[in-house]
Amino acid sequence: MDELLARSAEELFARLAAPERLRGLAPSEAPPGLLEAVEEAGFLQALVPEAAGGIGLDPSGALPILLAAGRFAVPLPLGDTMLARAALAMAGVSPPPGLVVLAEPWGSEAARLPPLAGAPDAWALLPRGDATLLLPLAEAEAVEADTAPGSAVFRWHRSGGQRLPVLDLLAAGAWAEVAVMAGALQPILEDTVRHAQERQQFGRPVAAFQAVQQQLSVLTEDVFAARMAAQLASVPDGAGVAGLSRMRVAAAKLRVGEAAQRAAGIAHAVQGAMGITGEVPLHRLTGRLQAARLRFGGEGYWASWLGRQVLADPASDTLAFARAHLGPAELETTS
Amino acid sequence: MIGVLPLAAIPPEDEALRPAIREFLRESVPQIPPERRARSWMGFDAGFSRALAERGWLGLTLPRDHGGAGRGAFARYVLSEELLAAGAPVAAHWIADRQSGPLIQRFGTEAQRRFFLPRICRAEAFFCIGMSEPNTGSDLASVGTRAVREDGGWRLNGAKIWTTNAQHAHYMIALVRTSGAPGDRHKGLSQLIIDLGLPGITINPIRDLAGDAHFAEVVFEDVLLPAEALIGEEGSGWMQVNAELAFERSGPERVLSSAVLLDEWLRWLRQDGAPEAATALLGRLVAHLAVLRAMSVSVTGRLVAGESPVVEAALVKDLGTEFEQAIPALLTPLLAEPGQAVPGGLMRTLAYTAAMAPSFSLRGGTREILRGMIARGMGLR
Repeated sequence: MDELLARSAEELFARLAAPERLRGLAPSEAPPGLLEAVEEAGFLQALVPEAAGGIGLDPSGALPILLAAGRFAVPLPLGDTMLARAALAMAGVSPPPGLVVLAEPWGSEAARLPPLAGAPDAWALLPRGDATLLLPLAEAEAVEADTAPGSAVFRWHRSGGQRLPVLDLLAAGAWAEVAVMAGALQPILEDTVRHAQERQQFGRPVAAFQAVQQQLSVLTEDVFAARMAAQLASVPDGAGVAGLSRMRVAAAKLRVGEAAQRAAGIAHAVQGAMGITGEVPLHRLTGRLQAARLRFGGEGYWASWLGRQVLADPASDTLAFARAHLGPAELETTS
Repeated sequence: MIGVLPLAAIPPEDEALRPAIREFLRESVPQIPPERRARSWMGFDAGFSRALAERGWLGLTLPRDHGGAGRGAFARYVLSEELLAAGAPVAAHWIADRQSGPLIQRFGTEAQRRFFLPRICRAEAFFCIGMSEPNTGSDLASVGTRAVREDGGWRLNGAKIWTTNAQHAHYMIALVRTSGAPGDRHKGLSQLIIDLGLPGITINPIRDLAGDAHFAEVVFEDVLLPAEALIGEEGSGWMQVNAELAFERSGPERVLSSAVLLDEWLRWLRQDGAPEAATALLGRLVAHLAVLRAMSVSVTGRLVAGESPVVEAALVKDLGTEFEQAIPALLTPLLAEPGQAVPGGLMRTLAYTAAMAPSFSLRGGTREILRGMIARGMGLR
């Protein structure tokens, strides 16, 4: 199932979100036909229980879709919408059609949203006080533009919208960003290795220099660690949206964020900083990493949160804590 | 390119070993002061190794008819991580249990297995590994210690250095040259099992920064060995040494070398309260630990499946030892806050771990060698 899903997601994105189709588009612009194809493929229904008309995957089952979305830097809030639909289904609310983003409170009045231009009919889920609000973007007013590549801050004047119970959207959104980052790191590694093999300086490929090899080995390590962190975060043994565990997501968001930072630095260096232009995929991929690190809590936020959990569990040494809450679990195959 | 590491879990039948091990460690280890437990797999206590042997916990992976438990690598994984996390003094049997026993099982003759394996399982035969020489470190193929066939046996001359626990071990498995010259590189290298009680052997312990003698120099002067000292095939020493590297490099001993320091610090934070910087660092280290452990378990799963994930193991070791070294480095400024009354045991544990940390990324293959292997795995060389 995992491989089948991964393949179909990659095929779809390779067709409709290939780098040459994205070139020249803003981070918030999706190429034509992409959203329709994603909806058609059922990806947005991945985490919705079968009883509610979804596919009924748990986060580990849905992970391949987001890894693929990260790999192609797909400019749509797929993870947001998957999770929002799952959250709405949990609350017994039928979701609006199309995209639903997870909005992050920006002070007490406004909310930060991911790239969404061209989707005025989208909706947002916004935690507010003791409730979660489902709000139409059509009624939102822009406050700040481009707070991160493509992100913007909005405000709703009417404090209306549909009220839902409190949901752990912070952890849910962080999981989606973890998955997208882990996915984006894969082509960053592959492209950087290829570049080092092809680019000739001083009469030989730059990959022939040990200093470059050592850097690429570090990059490889971080990419593998990030992938493992994303897999660990997807084990559905928590009480959050779609069974996510806040503990697992905390560990992953900080570990993958660190990996993303170091990996982006090495990849840009080896690719001769050409990634600062829009000419190479690295630009969009590392831009996506940067946006992901800024959403749903950064490394420091989650490090402190996780540290408090460790301190509060007096029976556990660090290994026992990691085994009990962050261990690799045998996954039941979802088919 | 290297394949993705899948999420793998330790099978329930191997997890089932854990409670008894933890119980045993709760009774036998806490009275050891933390700065001694920090010695981890460098802490030597033959009596402790015998106590483990009495419970059937030595030679878990060796066959039953040679005194082992006939279990798989995951059983040993559970045992190892609990021993290391607790800071149990495992050095006496560590190398025999991890490397020498499996090597003899795999490449030895039936007579060698019958002789050595039961002794290893009873904690009666401790081993060391003779690799480095005064002029041979990372460049292991340049080994110059030489064994020459003579009167149906071998005459051995040369020296090994930085050999862990040579002064306590009964036997050394040494990589030596049995034909050709150092210029022939890995051709002509063989492994010999050397009885360290034989005439002509001088063992000089080397004191380290922490005041211990974990290592020794071992000098061989016309040592006469029987023919059956050869383990495996003559000339196959290089291949045999490399066959076990994935096991040696991906285990919990590449993640937990600073575990005692980390847990002592945690105990103090729980007791006296944790400032924000300490809380954040704790969370960060636990997240790294969890991911490393999952990678290490995953590589073990590939080994159990009969694969030889040497590059993936190199990746785990490099990241793991970076983590082990980061713990004393990052704790140091937090324990330097003016006005704090840090427990003496914690400070001594920090002192020991900080002093020994440079060896974490050296033993078992240097950082640069491992990164070179990863680069090769990625098609870069």
